[in-house]
Amino acid sequence: MEHAFTPLEPLLPTGKLKYCLVVLNQPLDKCVRHLWSKALLRACADGGANRLYDTMEGERESFLPEFISGDFDSIRPEVKEYYAVKGCEIISTPDQDHTDFTKCLELLQKKIEEKDLQVDVIVTLGGLGGRFDQIMASVSTLFQATCITPVPIIIIQEESLIYLLQPGKHKMHVDTGMEGDWCGLIPVGQSCNHVTTTGLKWNLTNNMLGFGTLVSTSNTYDGSGVVTVETDHPLLWTMAIKN
Amino acid sequence: MCSSSLEQSFLPEFISGDFDSIRPEVKEYYAVKGCEIISTPDQDHTDFTKCLELLQKKIEEKDLQVDVIVTLGGLGGRFDQIMASVSTLFQATCITPVPIIIIQEESLIYLLQPGKHKMHVDTGMEGDWCGLIPVGQSCNHVTTTGLKWNLTNNMLGFGTLVSTSNTYDGSGVVTVETDHPLLWTMAIKN
Repeated sequence: MEHAFTPLEPLLPTGKLKYCLVVLNQPLDKCVRHLWSKALLRACADGGANRLYDTMEGERESFLPEFISGDFDSIRPEVKEYYAVKGCEIISTPDQDHTDFTKCLELLQKKIEEKDLQVDVIVTLGGLGGRFDQIMASVSTLFQATCITPVPIIIIQEESLIYLLQPGKHKMHVDTGMEGDWCGLIPVGQSCNHVTTTGLKWNLTNNMLGFGTLVSTSNTYDGSGVVTVETDHPLLWTMAIKN
Repeated sequence: MCSSSLEQSFLPEFISGDFDSIRPEVKEYYAVKGCEIISTPDQDHTDFTKCLELLQKKIEEKDLQVDVIVTLGGLGGRFDQIMASVSTLFQATCITPVPIIIIQEESLIYLLQPGKHKMHVDTGMEGDWCGLIPVGQSCNHVTTTGLKWNLTNNMLGFGTLVSTSNTYDGSGVVTVETDHPLLWTMAIKN
């Protein structure tokens, strides 16, 4: 079965995707304003609330998340207070075996089910910069997410997007006009022994991807506007977003 | 610009790459100052990887005893290039016997080869966090000491367990035993 989607569709003004938004603790990109307005649900993971609070100074009331969750070791007390008073749900998730991001996704999935929402994708802002261990934790959450929610998750920060392709065939439309120059396929968790692609400048034909063997970075598109990827193991897709 | 005496103080032995990023006036400046400018156009490898190859050649030519190669940058910006930096650490075992650390802002990464490792973390420059990231493949048997959350013959793998936001137990020493290459990462104090 082939899974077809357009990774950057949530960023399109005319996009029709139904999505939820998660804000992590990294500098907020400008696209948060557009993404916020059309999201079905919005949540902040711990320090993500600080970012929202600081970025939206002067118009905070227009950017109130449905909930803020986390172990709260990053959120500033006055920020937590502000959103609590405004009626945002404040949910403590102290479990130290999972990251704030992972726990936020669990809560988000609960609410999606409670409200019986049809959701096409979960858009996550942040997670790809700063502390190296936390960048890796974001990637790790994508692996765990398959057991948390059936909804696909994309992570976006600055000019990068990442999305975990499950084993099988995938078809991605990369002709929104918002695609930047580069893309890549990263076999983060394990080698992918049989990877075949179309639509890239440097395609793979039943090749192996693995750290120590071959990792596809600084790749680009062949101009067709469509990329297909077939993989036997989970494979991380990454692409540039135009400024 | 800085005074000329300062300018003379930071001249690299060489600059290498496919030169799609270096500004023309920058390349010109260092060429005029006598730095070797080495073009490495091969598109199958990153500038970093090719730079290490050249560095290893020069280490051999000059018969230098080198304990470590310190790399600045590589852990921020484009996500594919962060991963390319990690990938280079895997390839480096075939390029140079010298250990390589990569540092940017508050993060350091270092690839632990299969076997036992002992790391002193008592320089006073260690930050709060550390982690063990099984990039590339699962590590089925990992044992550590010196961490707040140690592993005892545990498996690390994406989708199973990845050690992030770990920290130290105060002993000043961390040991790691692993059956497959395992990426160590730690914080550097500001």
